[in-house]
Amino acid sequence: MSDEEHHFESKADAGASKTFPQQAGTIRKNGYIVIKNRPCKVVEVSTSKTGKHGHAKCHFVAIDIFNGKKLEDIVPSSHNCDVPHVTRTDYQLIDISEDGFVSLLTENGNTKDDLRLPTDDNLLSQIKDGFGEGKDLVVTVMSSMGEEQICALKDIGPK
Amino acid sequence: MVKLHPSSNETGGVMDVASAMMVKLIVKVMLLICTYWRRMEAMSKQNANFAYMKSGMPGYVCEDTENLRLCSVEKLASINQAVLGIHGVDVQFSGVNFLESLVSEFSPSTSSAMSLPREFHEQCRMSLEKDYLKTFYCWAQDAAISVTKGIAVSNTEIPEVKVCAAALRLMFQILNWDFRYNTAGTKAGRDAFSRGVRAYSSPKKSDCTIVQPGSAWRDVLISSGHVGWLLGFYASLREKFPGGGYWLDCPLAVSARKLIVQFCSLTGTIFLSDDGQMQEHHLLQLLSGIIQWIDPPHAVSQAIENGRSESEMLDGCRALLSIATVTSSIVFDNLLKSIRPFGTLAFLSTLMCQVVKVLLTKNIDDGTWSWEARDILLDTWTTLLMDKSTGGTELLPPEGINAAANLFSMIVESELRVASASAMGDDDDDPYYLQASISGTGKTMDERLSSYAFIARAAIEVTIPLLTRLFSERFSTLHQGRGIVDPTSTLEELYSLLLITGHVLADEGEGETPLVPNTIKTHFVDTVEADKHPAVMLSVSIIKFAEQSLDPEMRASVFSPRLMEGKFVLDIIVRISVTTLLSYPGEKDLQDSWRELANAFANEQTFFMLNSSNQRSLAQTLVLSASGMGNSGASNQYVRNLMGHMTKYLVQLSNKRDLRNVAQQPDVILPVNCLLERLRGAASASEPRTQRALYEMGFSVMNPILVFLEVYKHESAVVYLLLKFVVDWVDGQIAYLESGETASVVDFCMRLLQLYSSHNIGKISVSLSSSLLSEAKTEQYKDLHALLQLLSNLCSKDLVDFSSDSVETQGTNISEVVYFGLHIVTPLISLELLKYPKLCHDYFSLLSHMLEVYPETVARLNNEAFGHVLGTLDFGLRHQDTEVVNMCLSALKALASYHYKETGAGKTGLGSHASSVKDSHGNMQEGILSRFLQLLMQLLLFEDYSPDLVSPAADALFPLILCEQVLYQKLANELIERQTNPAFRSRMASALQSLTSANQLSSTLDRMNYQRFRKNVNNFLIEVRGFLRTMNKILQSKGKPSFSEHIIVSSGLLAESNLVERS
Repeated sequence: MSDEEHHFESKADAGASKTFPQQAGTIRKNGYIVIKNRPCKVVEVSTSKTGKHGHAKCHFVAIDIFNGKKLEDIVPSSHNCDVPHVTRTDYQLIDISEDGFVSLLTENGNTKDDLRLPTDDNLLSQIKDGFGEGKDLVVTVMSSMGEEQICALKDIGPK
Repeated sequence: MVKLHPSSNETGGVMDVASAMMVKLIVKVMLLICTYWRRMEAMSKQNANFAYMKSGMPGYVCEDTENLRLCSVEKLASINQAVLGIHGVDVQFSGVNFLESLVSEFSPSTSSAMSLPREFHEQCRMSLEKDYLKTFYCWAQDAAISVTKGIAVSNTEIPEVKVCAAALRLMFQILNWDFRYNTAGTKAGRDAFSRGVRAYSSPKKSDCTIVQPGSAWRDVLISSGHVGWLLGFYASLREKFPGGGYWLDCPLAVSARKLIVQFCSLTGTIFLSDDGQMQEHHLLQLLSGIIQWIDPPHAVSQAIENGRSESEMLDGCRALLSIATVTSSIVFDNLLKSIRPFGTLAFLSTLMCQVVKVLLTKNIDDGTWSWEARDILLDTWTTLLMDKSTGGTELLPPEGINAAANLFSMIVESELRVASASAMGDDDDDPYYLQASISGTGKTMDERLSSYAFIARAAIEVTIPLLTRLFSERFSTLHQGRGIVDPTSTLEELYSLLLITGHVLADEGEGETPLVPNTIKTHFVDTVEADKHPAVMLSVSIIKFAEQSLDPEMRASVFSPRLMEGKFVLDIIVRISVTTLLSYPGEKDLQDSWRELANAFANEQTFFMLNSSNQRSLAQTLVLSASGMGNSGASNQYVRNLMGHMTKYLVQLSNKRDLRNVAQQPDVILPVNCLLERLRGAASASEPRTQRALYEMGFSVMNPILVFLEVYKHESAVVYLLLKFVVDWVDGQIAYLESGETASVVDFCMRLLQLYSSHNIGKISVSLSSSLLSEAKTEQYKDLHALLQLLSNLCSKDLVDFSSDSVETQGTNISEVVYFGLHIVTPLISLELLKYPKLCHDYFSLLSHMLEVYPETVARLNNEAFGHVLGTLDFGLRHQDTEVVNMCLSALKALASYHYKETGAGKTGLGSHASSVKDSHGNMQEGILSRFLQLLMQLLLFEDYSPDLVSPAADALFPLILCEQVLYQKLANELIERQTNPAFRSRMASALQSLTSANQLSSTLDRMNYQRFRKNVNNFLIEVRGFLRTMNKILQSKGKPSFSEHIIVSSGLLAESNLVERS
């Protein structure tokens, strides 16, 4: 297990690939998977045996991490699946603009202004209310396959 | 005033329909009155409202309330008349039905609740059982006898049939009564013959009650020739309708048979203690009647196949089961010998063979009667063969052994036929074919197999060689047909044989190591050479069969490729190795073969492809294998070599400057995950011998772990792994650590907790998908569960410590540490999360442990944390789970007794937490102890809880009362004053009085006093809880505030503020 076998550096900027392949049999519950070109989180895996001498198939039930829709897929356990890269980044919330965009402070001091507020009223009010009360909020932005969304917020105000 | 017979001008003859209807109505009304009466009287006891009752129903109210409620002689007499048929058949029918309803109403298990205390129901039951049940039985008997003649001569359906059926049903119902009184001495009277209640848990399923009415019933049931009459009656009717299969299912026949079967389970002091002769005679009489239903078996089953009803045959089987329940196998066998040339066991075997034969010809879907008959008969065998004292197999007489052997070979044959037929069946549910098809119909496969095992062990000398022979036959068929014949059906047969053999050779151990059953031990004693022992030979042939899977050629031609599918095999191998390594640590051969694997595991990439649980178990096994090495130095060096690469990799990775950028890449996450799983596996293999190396392993990754926790804070799977590793590592190490090491481990754990807390406190997940949200919650729960485990593990240092430090050495103060930890963790625990049973359980067990062991630290907690702890305690007290409530109560006890003892010694105790203060809004906040006192009183007196909680609640109540004596007096006075009824008022007052003064209770908190107070609380609750709760309900129904509400209002709610905000 020497370093030569792992070339982190060479892949550090490999963000180009949105997904990577993984054998279906090794994908577990709570892992990620691409179904119908959408990044999903696996909530249920069952392995079915199709016959006495047949090969096992994996049945995935997964939920689209952005729109919450349920998707299913059946893949032979030895085949490869696409697994999305999912990253989460914390930003401090600076402002919520009138037109539904948020202004976020990145780690290196720049601002990020291209993210829309969620459209769902419930989530929207959770963010807006918190911000309105003047709390110091940190939002976690989840990004995968070219999409971004706020997935969590946290009050870091003085305790 | 209700009269039973509506008009006097009806003298004899059949009543017209209208008057029959009227009688029915009247009886219904009477039944209502009876029910209502009990209710009213119960009320009247409380309301002193008796006068109203009397005026409402003159003549039906008995002055003697202690006696039963239907004690009006007048009424009983009229029912008697009705039942005897003096007023005609319809009245008679209704009368009998009335009595039946009465019996079921007075049995607590079937009575309507009426919101009365249990005490009341028990009194009703006692009164009915002692004074009336037998009388009713005689009436029913008389009623039945009075109509039999008519039934016997008539050829058409006459109303008497209905009466007779109802009377038989009533008798059955009465014999079904759960007799409690007058049976004293049953135990003494239970000799070797009447085995009485067999109190074991057996695989049998059909329920068979035991009827023990006691000696008082002897004259009615035994000496009077009642059984003879019943059997004669049934037999004569049976003859009357020889061809009429429908008759067997008519209500009269059904209830007669039910009653006969019930008679078969008669036992106890009703029989003279004459060495069982009387019972034997009784059973013989029954059996000679019943045998007509089931003998000869082939003719009976033929008739059923031709369309005759199977109910009589099934009842015959049930009767055999009942007889088996109350006799030993020898008596059972002898019963039939006096009327047939064979014993009962031989007959039972023939009968069951017949049933099994029928089963074989049937599809799974139909033929339910043979399923049912087989299950009942199997139960009969189990009952006969299972020795109740040891759970072993009882010895049978020689013919019995033959019978069992015949039956077993028939059973095996049929199972094999079923198995080989299933081989070509539908593929979908194939592996579970047997289980699925059978569990739906009756017994589960497992229950059946253990019954088979009993039968096999009864004839062990024949059955084991039989199994060996069958097994080797199949095995050679497999070999010969290799590559030519499809092996599937032979494999299925082998599978079925293996299942049966396994059950015969050993009992189900449920995770324990099974012992050799006694029967096998005591037989074959003359076999000297071990390898000639039949049981050994059978086992050897099975192992030989398993060995075949090692032969690649054999594997290819015979076994399913699925057999060798990766992870299961690996999992099994690893489990076998763990057991082997633990059981035979010194074996050199094992060590060497492992070394190669260890090398590969440590250095080769391909192992990352294994799934996580395999990674863990493999690491665990490899570390465990070190425990067998020559000396501890070598063991530790081996573990260092094994794990060194992995820790080095993690350390290097954590030191990378661009870790943040690369961390999320799959080719980084994968090894991190795998390595953490391995570390966790290794940590859980901690043994004294390898402890040093494992400590070093964990110590070296302490910093990387904190780094990873930061970097992977959004990767819940990694976070969980990190936490779990630390939990397992601390668990394995903490007891051995020296003070310096303890300090650094504790410091590390605190940093871990703080870091985790800073990431997660106040965090809200937002997602459109509710299931993703609940996933997030589950992850949070699992993390917290791990953190609580960590704290508990740290706690254990105070209890178990193997370090060389002397007691005086000032080590780390564990209580401080855990409290600090609790400070960090409790805010993360919301009421929402406490709904997870495991978390809830762990949290409260930690909390109650803390409060019991370190109460002084609690007193120093700041207000917010203290409030939070108590808020959760309040939540726990209202929890559904008895154990959680129990833990809360012991926490409360610890808290209150600490305060009482401290203040007694002139110290502050809980200080400001215990006294009432004004909060920031100017409202009066009561001290926590007084709030809990009120809460507990209300819980004990008015709410539903498990009786197991009374003692712990008493333990908590005692110090609370001592702490808050003024408040307690106030509450007690209020309880008394709320009773409007003078009788209750004085009862309440004296109960409260004796609660605190009976049994020389004094005001010191020692073991004696706790015991006394427990007794007092028990008596107190028995005395007052019944009427208090009833009165409370009445008050509530009138809209007045109940005591409980009152208390809630006056005490204000507990410190919920913190919790509500968070949850």
